[in-house]
Amino acid sequence: MIKAILSIFVFYFLALIQTSFMPHLAIYGVVFNLVLFIVILWNIFENSDNYFGLYQAIIGGFFLDIFSSHFIGYNIIILLLIAILLKFFFKRYVRVPFSKD
Amino acid sequence: MNNLLVKNKLLIILLIIILVFFFLNVFQKQVRSLFYSFSNPILEQLWKAGDSTSGFFRSFGISTAQIEELNSENKRLLQETALLNELKKENKELRRALDLELEKEFDLEIAQIIGKDISQDFIFINKGSLQGLSENMTAITEEKVLVGKIMEVYDNSSKIMLLSNKEMAFDVKIQKDKNISGLIKGNGNFTLILDLIEEQVFENDIVITSFIGNIFPEALLVGRIREVNKNEVFYQAKVAPFFNISQAENIFIIK
Repeated sequence: MIKAILSIFVFYFLALIQTSFMPHLAIYGVVFNLVLFIVILWNIFENSDNYFGLYQAIIGGFFLDIFSSHFIGYNIIILLLIAILLKFFFKRYVRVPFSKD
Repeated sequence: MNNLLVKNKLLIILLIIILVFFFLNVFQKQVRSLFYSFSNPILEQLWKAGDSTSGFFRSFGISTAQIEELNSENKRLLQETALLNELKKENKELRRALDLELEKEFDLEIAQIIGKDISQDFIFINKGSLQGLSENMTAITEEKVLVGKIMEVYDNSSKIMLLSNKEMAFDVKIQKDKNISGLIKGNGNFTLILDLIEEQVFENDIVITSFIGNIFPEALLVGRIREVNKNEVFYQAKVAPFFNISQAENIFIIK
């Protein structure tokens, strides 16, 4: 439960940083997406039977949607799809020896 | 029986999720306004921090030769500045006499950029409906460079669609001996395409807004022509916008 609440705050601040800080560090107009990076990392290193990474994709996507011009749900769908694909791929084909429980 | 219960449970959860998203999107303006109202001060600070960080990184990679070159250019520019200051003073006096100052020309509201959309050409500013802003108002810089138009207004913040947004299209003219008109289309990622030009235009020609279409006030600076191509009937050109997000400090909204 604490982990879930903490995630909300972490992703809220990451979305703020993404909106106001990261555009200044764009390389040839491309801005590094912190929220996407954290969601990908978490889903790679999380145990494939654990689904907290999917929750993180929803929370991260929600805050990105709040600070973007798309409809609310646009980034949630994208991040959730990426998280599900990663889970599926790692469950089926890869075994990470140091994955989190 | 158990299986049916699980199936129903899943269906109910799915239905709740769809309903939540439906209501979030119906009331998205209110939801966003709520988040922006308490996030604005943090966004402002982060924007300033980002600005100074990018300045710090830009300072790397400058060689000694470049520093010397910049120093001599600086001296030359200082001389020019002194001359320009004199001209500015004279110009100000003349403008005052003619009642042509920017504030008098337009009713303006000053605002600061606090964020940028992650994937599209939109920016957020720290002024909203409580400061008298409304949708479709034009945003410019101090130098009368066109920034874009307000798309959404919240209580204390607004979202501006930049002129380079893919949904943006408006009439412009190229200032030469005679005015040549054309249509500017946003191409995304701070790039513009100038289309439907009937006469030959050249690199470095300056593009300004036109009164045709009545989307923006006339004679606002848009950009400089970079690359000209010709199709069967019209000329087409790439345009580099004058508006630079990393250099813009204040934005002015024409009320």
